[in-house]
Amino acid sequence: MRVGLLPTEGGGTYRFAILFLATIGILISSLPVIVVTIMSFSASEYSSFPPTEFSFRWYLEVVQLFTNEDPSSAQSVVDSTLTSLLVAFLVMVISTLVCIPLAYALARSNRNLREGMELLFTLPLVFPLVMLGIAFLLIAESLQLELGIWRIAIPHIALVLPFVLRNCLSAMNGISVEIEEAAISLGASPPRAIWDVVVPLMKAGILAGLIFALIISFNEFTVTFFMYTIDVSTLPIWMYSRTVSSLDPATLALSVFIIVVDVFLVVLVDKLIAGRGNLF
Amino acid sequence: MSTEFLPRKQALLFAAPAFIAILPFLGACFYILRFSLSGEQGTIEGLSFQAYRDLMTPFFGRSVWLTLKLAFVATVIVMVLAVPLAFVLTSLRSSFFRRLLTISILLPLILNLLVQAYGWILLLGPSGVLNSSLKALGIIERPLFLLFNETGVLLGLVQTSLPLAVFPIVGAVRAISPEYLEAASSLGAGHWRTFKDVTVPLLRPGLVGAASIVFAFNASAFAIPLLLGGRRVQMMGLVIRDMISPLFNWSGAAAAGMILIVLTLFVLVASSWLVRLTTTAKETH
Repeated sequence: MRVGLLPTEGGGTYRFAILFLATIGILISSLPVIVVTIMSFSASEYSSFPPTEFSFRWYLEVVQLFTNEDPSSAQSVVDSTLTSLLVAFLVMVISTLVCIPLAYALARSNRNLREGMELLFTLPLVFPLVMLGIAFLLIAESLQLELGIWRIAIPHIALVLPFVLRNCLSAMNGISVEIEEAAISLGASPPRAIWDVVVPLMKAGILAGLIFALIISFNEFTVTFFMYTIDVSTLPIWMYSRTVSSLDPATLALSVFIIVVDVFLVVLVDKLIAGRGNLF
Repeated sequence: MSTEFLPRKQALLFAAPAFIAILPFLGACFYILRFSLSGEQGTIEGLSFQAYRDLMTPFFGRSVWLTLKLAFVATVIVMVLAVPLAFVLTSLRSSFFRRLLTISILLPLILNLLVQAYGWILLLGPSGVLNSSLKALGIIERPLFLLFNETGVLLGLVQTSLPLAVFPIVGAVRAISPEYLEAASSLGAGHWRTFKDVTVPLLRPGLVGAASIVFAFNASAFAIPLLLGGRRVQMMGLVIRDMISPLFNWSGAAAAGMILIVLTLFVLVASSWLVRLTTTAKETH
C-alpha cells in the first residue's frame, strides 16, 4: 500500500476526515465568488436563489453605467475606474523599478545587509492595514499635503514592495556571479553586464512582481478607504458607496469582470513562477 | 567570495530608490507613535500618556476582548481546514486540478473584498441561498440570522485568511520525507497514529508560524467586520476608525492603533521564539 499524507486506498475515517475538512475549506473559499457569478446572470431584480431566469441585462447595465454618466451621483464610476487603473499602473512601475536594483544589491552584497533589508521590506506585510491607512491619513491631513493621486499611490507602493521584492529576489537567486564576470571579462562594463545580462535573466520574476503589484493595488480596499477624497477615489470605494444601502445586480456583473481579470492575472503569475517557489 | 561581489557603498546606492519608496511608510509608523503620545487630541502637542489612559474604558476593553476572541476562533478554524487542504493540494497529480485548487484558495486573499462581501450577503442573508434552501426543505420556518453578527464576520475572516495558512503549510508538507511515513506504517502505526505522532510533530514549526500570521492578520481585520458585521461587531479596526471619522480623536486612534500593533507583533515574535525554543530543544536531545 502506498503510504502518504492522503491515503489513496483504505484509510477509513482518516481519509474521510481529511477529504471532508478539505471540502469545507474549498466551499468557504469559493462559494461567495460562485454565487456572485451565478446571480449576476439573473433576470430578476431581487436576489432570490436560484435565479428563475437568466439574462445578460445586468451586464448591459454595466456598459450603460460606463457610457451614460449619471450626473446626479456624487462619485463617477468612470473616474473611479480610471483612477484605479492609473494608481495600479504607477504602483506597478515604480515598485518594480526600485525593487530590481535592490534585489540585485541584496543578492550580491554581504549577508548582514541582506537580512536587515529583507526584514525592513517585510514590515508593511505585518503592519495592520487599518493602521497604515490611519497613519498615512494623519500625515496627509495634519501636514495638509496636496498629493492628488499620490495620496493613494504612495501607500499602495509601500503595500506591494514586499511582494515585488520577494519575486525579484527569487529571480536573482538563480543567477550566479560567474555569468556577470564572464560578461565583464568579455569587455562589458559592469552596468552593461547588469542591464544586458542580469536583468533579462530576471525577466520572469520581474513580470511576476509587476502583476502582483497590479493585482494588489487594483483590489486594495482598506487603506484606500481612509485615503480617498471626492476627487480621488478608486473602484472598490465606488462599489462600497453604491452598496451601503442595498445590493444591486449591476454591481454583481461588475464584480464578475473583476473576478475574471483577477483569475487571469493569478494564472499568469502562477505560470511565470511555476516550479520556482510558492505564490507566497 | 561570491556573496560579496558588490562593494558596500555601491550596494547602498542600488538600494537607495527602494529606500525612498518605503520612507513614507517608515515616516507613517513614526508619526503614529508620536501622535499617540500627544497631549492634544487633534494635534501633536507635548508629551503625555493621556491618550492611552483615556482608552482604559469598558467599551475599549470589550473591543480588545472581542478582537482577540474572534481572531483566535478564526485561527483555530483556519488551521483545522488548512492542514487537510495542504494534504490534498500536495497529493493532487493533475496539474490542472492543482492549479484550480490553488487559485480558488488564493483568490479570497487578493480579490476585491467588496466582491466577497456581496457573495456572503447573497449566501447568508435573510433571503439568501442558505436560508431559502433550508426553508424550502422545511428545516426552518424563520430565516437564520447569520449576517451582521459574529458568525458572518467569523466566516469572512476564515475565508480571507485561509490562504495565509495553506501555502506555508504546503511548503512544510512538501519537506516531509515519505520515508518517515513509510517507517511509521511498517511499524504498524495506523493513519491517525501516524498523523498524531509523525506528521504533526514534523509540521509543527510551519503550523505555529502559519497560525501566528493568520492570528495577526485577523486581529487587525477592518474591511470584513465593516462589510459583514454591519458595524455591530466592534472589532478594534472599526473602533479605531470611529475615533477618527466622527470623533476626530486622532491621538486616541493612534494610541489604540499602537495597542493593536503591539498585540499583533507580540504574537508574531512570541510564536517565532516558541518555534526556535522547541527546535533547539529537539536538537539537544
